[in-house]
Amino acid sequence: MSYITVEHLRKTFTVRKKKDRGFLAREKTTVEALKDVSFTVKQGELVGYIGPNGAGKSTTVKVLSGILTPDSGAVRIGGRVPWLERKEHVRRIGVVFGQRTQLWWDVPLLDSYDLLREIYRVPEADFRRRMNELSEALDLGSLLRTPLRQLSLGQRMRAELCGSLLHCPELLFLDEPTIGLDAVSKLALRDFLQWENREKGTTILLTTHDMEDIAALCRRVMVLGHGSKLFDGALEDLYARYRNALPVQELTVQYPNIDHVIAAMYQELGL
Amino acid sequence: MNTIRLYCRSMGLQIRSQLQYPASFLMQTLAQLVMEGGEFMALMLVIDRFDRLNQWMPGDLFFFYGLMSVTFYLTECFGRGITGAFPYMIRTGQLDTLLVRPRGVLIQVFCSAADPRRIACIAVGVASMVLGSIQARIAWSLPKALLLLESIAFGFLLILGLFLIEASLVIWSVKSVELTNTLTYGGRSACDYPIDIYPRPLRILFTVVAPFALVLHVPAAWILGKPLYGWPAWAAFLCPLAGAVSFGLFYALFRRALRHYRSTGS
Repeated sequence: MSYITVEHLRKTFTVRKKKDRGFLAREKTTVEALKDVSFTVKQGELVGYIGPNGAGKSTTVKVLSGILTPDSGAVRIGGRVPWLERKEHVRRIGVVFGQRTQLWWDVPLLDSYDLLREIYRVPEADFRRRMNELSEALDLGSLLRTPLRQLSLGQRMRAELCGSLLHCPELLFLDEPTIGLDAVSKLALRDFLQWENREKGTTILLTTHDMEDIAALCRRVMVLGHGSKLFDGALEDLYARYRNALPVQELTVQYPNIDHVIAAMYQELGL
Repeated sequence: MNTIRLYCRSMGLQIRSQLQYPASFLMQTLAQLVMEGGEFMALMLVIDRFDRLNQWMPGDLFFFYGLMSVTFYLTECFGRGITGAFPYMIRTGQLDTLLVRPRGVLIQVFCSAADPRRIACIAVGVASMVLGSIQARIAWSLPKALLLLESIAFGFLLILGLFLIEASLVIWSVKSVELTNTLTYGGRSACDYPIDIYPRPLRILFTVVAPFALVLHVPAAWILGKPLYGWPAWAAFLCPLAGAVSFGLFYALFRRALRHYRSTGS
């Protein structure tokens, strides 16, 4: 029995574009963000979800976390339909948006966490135990009394992770968590995610552009392009299959740039 | 119970956030005091020119004005999430972060902002009410005090409800819709004065659509001992409930709108 089941997921958006002529004239176009995406994820898996900008990664995460309602298709996570049982569902998941903070800007981290405890109704004792655990694993000890706005990007991402894991979610969505981070912060973050996945059995779905993240963390990758799933399997297989498409200079690199692979895929599928 | 505690703690956090910049906070509060105080001075000058407005004496008018100010600015102070922050949350996609938490969206929006600077405006409103109360020689009693509290509480709900119309429209159109300001800010300005001085269409607007007249004016008139439309005491106690009815209706609208929410790019 899989933990996440996604079947024939479709989501379209209507976009109004400004016409070349006319002051207020707008053209209505329908953009298919997701067209018929299906996959399953088992409990405790750590899956990489990659694809170029606009491929539909974030849309998938938003549907799976109950923010958006799809046009059609079925999603079940731990037996629940995210957008129908939003509150019950989100109690069991954590979401980190790489570009958007979930903490409060002007107050010390500890105050933010305390309010999150209230929001998720975490019992005081559980909260304290989890807080100790996370602040050690994420090396937050000295930052807890600092306001969020005074943290560096790497520190902030660690703080965000802590905030989204305080209620011990079964499932964690990470939307480009390493974006803009330096090498040291990236490594620390990867270590932590591995630890959380191994120790707590947390299922993690990671979207990223960073192939090293994927290589270090995920045994399984799903590639999304133009709203369709193009590949689902091991990273080595992905590279093996598209080895011919890689330019010479990328062949010597351990984890070649995924863009070449995706370009080759698009060509193959005539997209 | 837990929700109320969540709200109180959120407000504490919001106010502490604002006080992180004490100089800015003080200056802005002072600016609000000058603005609101100036408006009140202007009102005093105007009222000074009249002996009476319909049946209303100057003291009555100050009382009406003060009641409206206190109610409106209390709403802006503690309901800032709905009266101000919401359109911004929609435009930036910040609403996503609320949707991934196991609480109602409205309560979280409500908790997401406060505007403690409004304390200056509330103070001016209180001053106006006190002045009105003295000039009109209101004989305060327990029922009158209770009615005043009831009126302010349901006024709070009514104003929140009116801002929910804007919040709902924003979800559809993403950009803020100024149209609804005629009801919110327009309603506030118009209903600074008792409703019976206005022509019929406006009276209907502010009795049926945005029932400031029922929530604030009928109780105020009864407290002043001049029942509006000759309605009896029980009507004065019953009318403010219209605020809760409005809130309920506009909340239903908001719930419908929320289903159309479509977020922004990553």
